[in-house]
Amino acid sequence: MPQAPMPELTSSVKLKYVKLGYQYLVNHFLSFLLIPIMAIGAVELLRMGPEEILNVWNSLEFDLVQVLCTSFFVIFISTVYFMSKPRTIYLVDYSCYKPPVTCRVPFATFMEHSRLILKDKPKSVEFQMRILERSGLGEETCLPPAIHYIPPTPTMDAARSEAQLVIFTAMDDLFKKTGLKPKDVDILIVNCSLFSPTPSLSAMVINKYKLRSNIKSVNLSGMGCSAGLISVDLARDLLQVHPNSNAIIVSTEIITPNYYQGNERAMLLPNCLFRMGAAAILMSNRRSDRWRAKYKLSHLVRTHRGADDKSFYCVYEQEDKEGHVGINLSKDLMAIAGEALKANITTIGPLVLPASEQLLFLLSLIGRKIFNPKLKPYIPDFKLAFEHFCIHAGGRAVIDELQKNLQLSGEHVEASRMTLHRFGNTSSSSLWYELSYIESKGRMRRGDRVWQIAFGSGFKCNSAVWKCNRTIKTPKDGPWSDCIDRYPVFIPEVVKL
Amino acid sequence: MGIVQENRVEVKSMLTAVSSKPSRSGRVHPFTTLDNAMSRHTLHVIVYYPRSPFGSFDLDSVRISLSELLSMYPPVVGRVAKTPDGILEVKCNDAGLRTLKAKVCVGIDEWLRSADGHDESDLTAWEDMPEDPSTWAPFRLQINEFEGGGVAIGLSCPHRQADATTLTVLLKSWTEAQRRRCLVHPPSFSPLPSILTDDTDAVKPNSASISEPISTKTATATFRFSSSAFKKYVEEEGIFPKASPLDVFAALFWTRVALVKRKSHDRVCMCVDFRRLLPNPLPYGFFGNALNFSSLEMTNVADQGIVHVARLINDHVTNLTVEKIRSDLNRVGEQELMYGRDLTIVNMEHMIVEGDPMMYDAVFEDGVRPVHVSYRIGNVGGEGVIMVMPSPEKGFGRVVSVTLPEEEMSKLLVDQEILRFEPKIILSGVK
Repeated sequence: MPQAPMPELTSSVKLKYVKLGYQYLVNHFLSFLLIPIMAIGAVELLRMGPEEILNVWNSLEFDLVQVLCTSFFVIFISTVYFMSKPRTIYLVDYSCYKPPVTCRVPFATFMEHSRLILKDKPKSVEFQMRILERSGLGEETCLPPAIHYIPPTPTMDAARSEAQLVIFTAMDDLFKKTGLKPKDVDILIVNCSLFSPTPSLSAMVINKYKLRSNIKSVNLSGMGCSAGLISVDLARDLLQVHPNSNAIIVSTEIITPNYYQGNERAMLLPNCLFRMGAAAILMSNRRSDRWRAKYKLSHLVRTHRGADDKSFYCVYEQEDKEGHVGINLSKDLMAIAGEALKANITTIGPLVLPASEQLLFLLSLIGRKIFNPKLKPYIPDFKLAFEHFCIHAGGRAVIDELQKNLQLSGEHVEASRMTLHRFGNTSSSSLWYELSYIESKGRMRRGDRVWQIAFGSGFKCNSAVWKCNRTIKTPKDGPWSDCIDRYPVFIPEVVKL
Repeated sequence: MGIVQENRVEVKSMLTAVSSKPSRSGRVHPFTTLDNAMSRHTLHVIVYYPRSPFGSFDLDSVRISLSELLSMYPPVVGRVAKTPDGILEVKCNDAGLRTLKAKVCVGIDEWLRSADGHDESDLTAWEDMPEDPSTWAPFRLQINEFEGGGVAIGLSCPHRQADATTLTVLLKSWTEAQRRRCLVHPPSFSPLPSILTDDTDAVKPNSASISEPISTKTATATFRFSSSAFKKYVEEEGIFPKASPLDVFAALFWTRVALVKRKSHDRVCMCVDFRRLLPNPLPYGFFGNALNFSSLEMTNVADQGIVHVARLINDHVTNLTVEKIRSDLNRVGEQELMYGRDLTIVNMEHMIVEGDPMMYDAVFEDGVRPVHVSYRIGNVGGEGVIMVMPSPEKGFGRVVSVTLPEEEMSKLLVDQEILRFEPKIILSGVK
């Protein structure tokens, strides 16, 4: 019946306008209060005329001392306020590593190597093929050179050369982009979860670029895929303590030594998903950088669920029966990720959500607690708080889960899905590839807010909120420069291999 | 042929080189009847450079140019598969080119002096096609580093998938990609022109590979003739003016081999590339087989003068028309062994383009030209093969590679008629 859909449409349109009206009212409540008051005051002043205003002023009988004391008081309070405000932390620029074409891993090559190396374990090969078909990865992801050998040659030398290749290339690019001289770096943080040689990777960077001897360097290892945001948090804390400084963060994951050589199924999964990548980020608290910085750090929230045993054991590195070391991913990984996300949202919600959503949430909370416990909990609409979302490209399942939980549209998770397709799971640096995707698409405008969410072993859920400082022109170089025109691509549920 | 030696080539590692861009999915490269007729043979090209363009290997720019080139050659990085009707074809799935790295314990000059045909086959990687070819790499590259510098790049493939010109153009294009030049001969994957295929039957399903191994033990030797040798012969013997170096050297070897074989040996098989012989010539970049095999007969050839034989060869090659090529093509399905059933003479004159031999123009670094290029054909029949190839020095010189049963070869190496031309004999295994 042509009549039936019409009322639904009009009623949903009416509902939308009601919602919009409510949001404007609550979010700009103070303006709605102040504007009438200011208007009335202005009308009064105009009505009174200049002599009457002077008379009122003289009747107050201020003398010089009073005026001076009041002004000193005001100046004093404002100085205390400005001094105790946390410094604004800027993200000046960042650079993502683009692997050479010789490191590309087409599906056919991956499966062929898998068949040749695991020739007595056809079931494990079958398993890998099924994972790869549904992984959401594309044909252009890259593995380090040592893994292309039959059999792979994961020596320590090969691991070090992969580290040097990815880190130094990313840092060279960052220095060129920002014009920063190596001797001007004040803080250096390197995070790489699974490769931790002696001397550390941060020492390797200091050695290569001849950084200053009083540099504050930190090397974080073992902290999983969310280590990137942990490094940002650490940099922020250090930049609060050290005035007028900058910090370089290098986030990477070195694949070479961690390629699982056994045939236990649950531990073969990371081989199918983890790929080569790195990012170098320059952060600063200098006032002079506020014109050229790309983003301002608004909030950073870290949530750790390690106290819960199930969360602690869900991503666990261990030896298999034959003594090969690999990472075991438990089957309830998604459920645990969901829990961690909820905990994180509960903390970050009040910081970022507009007043309208917070009020609704409060009302629904009161309703559930006092009136009816069976009321559905109100899930705040985070799309009102952020323009862009960068969800760690841990795997297709993670992105699907978060899209469902946060009720995001396809365009919101496009950056994450396309990064997973083009670069695979590059661990802690994947958030930066996603951000680069959004910039390359020309979608980043001044004032846009970005929410980066990362999960990591432990189990951790960390989020960072950035505010775009200036409209970013589409970068001419960068990891997406040669392929951005082909994206977004349609990624089928199952790729026929 | 010589003292049995220890293997002087040691393979160190194996990896798979991939193309730089994904190819169109579902793309398939079929085989022609001519391709299938070549099934029993394998083809190997070995290019010797005095200085290696490879450094650390993993991060070399030469590897990047190889990947970029492989994007233009999807059948090289694909895998052979059988259709439900039992016909073989190449699935262009980007699986990659198998690449091996090896070290040779002697220097390049020592190797060229003392290695023989069997040693040279160690410089290339080969594995016969198994029942299930889905993880079998048809194209294999082996990079052999010599002691003290120098490198031999060996490229192997089933003869079904490419002929010598295809592989030469591939290697030359790699060097052009490395030097950031435009490819002179970009690849062309169109099928054989209809003028040749109108009469041929549809491709029949491949019968199971019958391969009985060739029983005779063969030996190879390479004779380098300089330009002056040809000129000397022309002066002394007064050859007819249109004679090309091919005519003279092919005639020379045919007569001398016939003598050595002690048969009247009046029939040879002439193998000529027909890319440029068609009225609408195929580009050099045509990918696949474009070879014409035709018979040539002369009674008592051993007693005939070289002039006479040379004239016969010249007439034969000049009179190769499209109709002749087409009728020869129709008959290939009936034969199994293309090379060596009769003494086969392989003509590579077409590889000299405007006086420059194509394979010696495959230069990675300026000034480092190949010192030698060998072509090897696997599973050759017992009668042997004579390959007349261009010489690194432009002009009338030629490099002739001969594969014969061992005893016949040992007699040929001391044949006075051949030695009269003062050839430099390399890769014969003689100490």
